[in-house]
Amino acid sequence: MPDDAPALGLAARPARSRARLSRSAPFVVAGLAAVALWVAPAVLDTFAVNVLTRSMIYAVLAVTVDLLWGFAGVLTFGQAAFFGVGAYATAMALTYLGATPEWMAVALALSVAAPMALGLAVGWLSFYHRSTALYASVISLVTPIVVTQLIYSGGEWTGSSSGLVGFDVLPLELEGFFRLAALVLVAVTLAAWVFVRSDAERALVAVRDNDARCAYLGLSPKRLQIALTTVLAGVAGLAGFVFANASSVVAPENAGFLFGTELVIWVALGGRGTLLGPVLGTIAIDYLAANLSGDLPFLWQLLLGTAFVAVIILLPGGLAELVRRVWARLPFGRRQAVAPRLVASSPRPNAAVSGAPLLKIENLAKSYGSLTVLENIDIEIRAGELVSLVGPNGAGKTTLMRCLSDGTEPFSGAVSIGGASTAGLTPNRIVALGVGRKFQVASVFESLTVADCLLLARAPHDRLSPIGRAETLSLPQAALDVLRMTGLDRLLAEPTRLLSHGQKQALELAMVVALEPRLILLDEPTAGLTKAERTTIGAVLRTLTGDGVAAVLVEHDLDFVRQISSRIVVLHQGRLALDGTVDEVVNSELVRTIYSGGAHG
Amino acid sequence: MLLVLDILTTAAILFVVSIGLLAVFGVLKIINFAHGAWLTIGAYCAVVAAKLGLNPWAALPLAFVVGGALGGLTELFIIRPLYRRPLDAILATWGLGIVIGQLITLGFGRDVQMTPNLVSGTVEIFGADYSAYRLATLGAAIVIGVAFALTIGGTRLGLSARAVIMNETLARGLGIDTARVRLFTFMMGAGLAALAGVLLTPLTSVDPNMGVGWLIGAFMLVMVADASFLALGVACLVFGAAQVLVSTFVSPILGSIAIAVLAALVLRVSPKGFSRA
Repeated sequence: MPDDAPALGLAARPARSRARLSRSAPFVVAGLAAVALWVAPAVLDTFAVNVLTRSMIYAVLAVTVDLLWGFAGVLTFGQAAFFGVGAYATAMALTYLGATPEWMAVALALSVAAPMALGLAVGWLSFYHRSTALYASVISLVTPIVVTQLIYSGGEWTGSSSGLVGFDVLPLELEGFFRLAALVLVAVTLAAWVFVRSDAERALVAVRDNDARCAYLGLSPKRLQIALTTVLAGVAGLAGFVFANASSVVAPENAGFLFGTELVIWVALGGRGTLLGPVLGTIAIDYLAANLSGDLPFLWQLLLGTAFVAVIILLPGGLAELVRRVWARLPFGRRQAVAPRLVASSPRPNAAVSGAPLLKIENLAKSYGSLTVLENIDIEIRAGELVSLVGPNGAGKTTLMRCLSDGTEPFSGAVSIGGASTAGLTPNRIVALGVGRKFQVASVFESLTVADCLLLARAPHDRLSPIGRAETLSLPQAALDVLRMTGLDRLLAEPTRLLSHGQKQALELAMVVALEPRLILLDEPTAGLTKAERTTIGAVLRTLTGDGVAAVLVEHDLDFVRQISSRIVVLHQGRLALDGTVDEVVNSELVRTIYSGGAHG
Repeated sequence: MLLVLDILTTAAILFVVSIGLLAVFGVLKIINFAHGAWLTIGAYCAVVAAKLGLNPWAALPLAFVVGGALGGLTELFIIRPLYRRPLDAILATWGLGIVIGQLITLGFGRDVQMTPNLVSGTVEIFGADYSAYRLATLGAAIVIGVAFALTIGGTRLGLSARAVIMNETLARGLGIDTARVRLFTFMMGAGLAALAGVLLTPLTSVDPNMGVGWLIGAFMLVMVADASFLALGVACLVFGAAQVLVSTFVSPILGSIAIAVLAALVLRVSPKGFSRA
C-alpha cells in the first residue's frame, strides 16, 4: 500500500510509541484499583465496607449515565428504572424460585435480560428519524415513573410499597460483597474506558454533534442510540443484581425518578464525559452522604443542591474539569495529538456502466401548504455526467436536493437511484444506495478531529473498532487528492472547530468523496471560497466524473458551471425551465432574462 | 354526571398548575424544573398568611408577588447563563428545586402543614353533593386563563412575548429587549405557579416536597401543548379525562401515570403534540 504521507509518518513515530504506552494505561490503573480494593476490607471498618459496597454499585450506574449523557449527549433519568428492574428481577427470582446455584444463574440472566428488553423498547420509543434530544429525556423521565407505579401495583408479587426483603442471596460475607461490587465496578469502568478511547466512540460523539451529518454518511444515528441504550440498560440491571444480593432488600425507590436524578447529579459533580470523574464523584458523595446525613440531614441536601446548581452554571465539566485544568498546566500533562496514517484504499471495481440512468426523477412536486415550491420535475442523470442545477434564489434548487437525499421528505412523484425507489427511505439508507450529499453550509463534526471525521465517513466501508484506534486511515484516491490540494492532510489531528470556512468545506467534500458514492450531490460547494480553492474542487469533480461518478451541482457561479458541467438544468419558479448542453443553455434567451433580472420585472 | 364534573375540575386544576410552566417554556424555551418548588412556595405563602392571621384569600396576591420576586432573582442568576444550554437549564432548575425544598424544611420543618380552607362545604348539583372548592377551581382556571389570554393578546409585553416565541432573532433585530421579555415572563411564570400553589392547598397536604408530584404532570402537559395556550387547555381536558376515567374504572395507580404515558405516546406520533390541531 502506498504511504501517502511519509513526512507525517516519520514525525509521528515517537508520538506513536507514547500512544501505545497510553493505550495500556487503563489496564494498569484497573489492575492497581482491583488489587487495592481487594485488600481494602481488611483495613476498613464495617460501616465503611457496608457503605462503600453500595457506593461502588451506584458508581457502576454513574458510568452508564456518563456514557449516555457525557459522551452520547442523551440526558437520561432512566438508568434508575433499569437498575430497579434488574434488582427486582433478582429479588423476585430469589424469593419465589430459591437461591440454589441454578436459580442464582437464572436470576443473573433475568436481571440483565429484563432491563435490556425494556431498554430496547425505551430506545425504540426515544430515538427515531428527526427525534429530539429533549424527547429522549422526556421518555427517560417517564420510564422510572411507570416502573415504580408498576411495582406499587404488583401487590404481593413485588411487595408493593414495602418492597421485598429477606430473600436468600449469594453466600458471601460483607467483605465478599464489597469485593464483588469492586470487581464489577472495575470491569465495567475498564470496558467503558477502552470503549471511549476507541474509534466506535467517535460515532457517539458524532451523533451528539450533528446527527444529520451522521445520517448523510450512511450511519444510522437511531440504531447507535438504541443499541447504546439497550446495552447500558443491561449493565444497570447487572448492578441491580449485585445490589439486591448485597443488601437483600429492594424497594420501589431503587427504581424511582428521584434516584435517577441523583445519578445525574453525581455524574455532573464528578465531571460528565470523563468516566473516572463520575465514578470517583459518586463514591465520594454517597460515602459523605452516609456519614453526614445522619447528623445534618437537611443541611447536607442543601449543600449538595447548591453545589450542583453552581457546578452546572459555572463548571459544566464538573470537578474533573478542575483537575484537568491543573494537569494541563503541568509540563508532562499535555497530550500530543496522534493522527492515523493516510493510505489509499484499493479502488472499488467500477460497476458496469449500463445505459440505464443512475438517477431518475419523475414528475416530482413539492409544496408547503398552498405554496408550490417544485412541480413537474423530470430529470434523468447517467453515470459520468456532471449536471449543474442553476436558477435564481428561491427557484427550489436546495429543496430538490433535499427531496433527492431524504425519502421521508413529503413530496409527490418518484425518485429512483440505480433503479431502486427512494420513497420513505431515511437519508442513511439512501446513502447506502450510493448517494453522497454535501450541504450548503459545511456540515462536519465540530468536536472531532479532521481524521476522525474522515474515519466516520469510511465507517460504512471499514467497520469502526470498539476497542482501539486504527493506525491507518484508508481513503479513496479522490479524497486524498482533496486533502492534499487543500493542505488538510497536514491538519489531521486538528479539531475541526479550528478550521477556516474553506477548510471545512473541503473537509466535508473529502468526507462525501470518501463514501465512494455513485451519485454525488453538491449544494454550492464553492460558496465563499477563493479562486484557488474553486479550481481545486473543479479538478476533483472532473476526476470523479471521469471515473464514472455522476454529480449534481447547485451553483450560482456561471463561469464555474460553464467550465465543468456536461449538462445544465435550469430551474425557475419551481419548474424545469431548460435542460441541455452547456452551449444550449448558456446562450439561451431565457437564462439571460432570468439572470439579468428580467423575469422579475 | 359526577364523572363529568370530576373531569372538568381535574382539567381545571391541571391547567392552573401548568400555565406558569407553559409561559416559561414558550418564551424562554427552557424547561423550568423548579416549577414544583414554586408551587410549594405558594402553598407555604398560604401557611404564612394563616399564621399572620390574614384572610385566606390574601395568600393569593402574596404568593403571586413572592413567587414573582423570587422568579426574577432566579432568572437573573441561574437561568440567564444557561440559555444556550437548555438541557443544563433543566438540571440547574431541578437543583434549585432541591435547594428551595431544603430551605423550606429548615424553616418550617418537614411536617405536613394545615391551611384554612378557601371555600368550604359542598354544593348540591345534579342531585348530589359536590365539593364547593373543586367547583371554585373551575372558576379560578377560567379567570386565570382569560387573564392570561388578555395579557398575551392585549398588552405590549404579550405582543413582545409572541414575537419572541415566533422568531427571537428577528424580535431582537426589531429592537425588542428580549432579555427584559424573558425576565418578566419568568417572573410571571413563577408568580402563576405560586398562585397555583395556594389554590392547591385545600386539595393536597402541604409539605416541603409537595410540588414534585405535580411537576411531572405539568411538564408532560406543556410538552404536548408545545407553547400553545389553547393546546394546553385541550391537553388538560383530554389527559385529565383519561386520568379520571382510568382511575375510576381501572386502577388509581395506573390513573396516576396515565398523563405521563399518554403524553409520551402522543409526542412519539406527533412531535408537536396538540398545538397543530
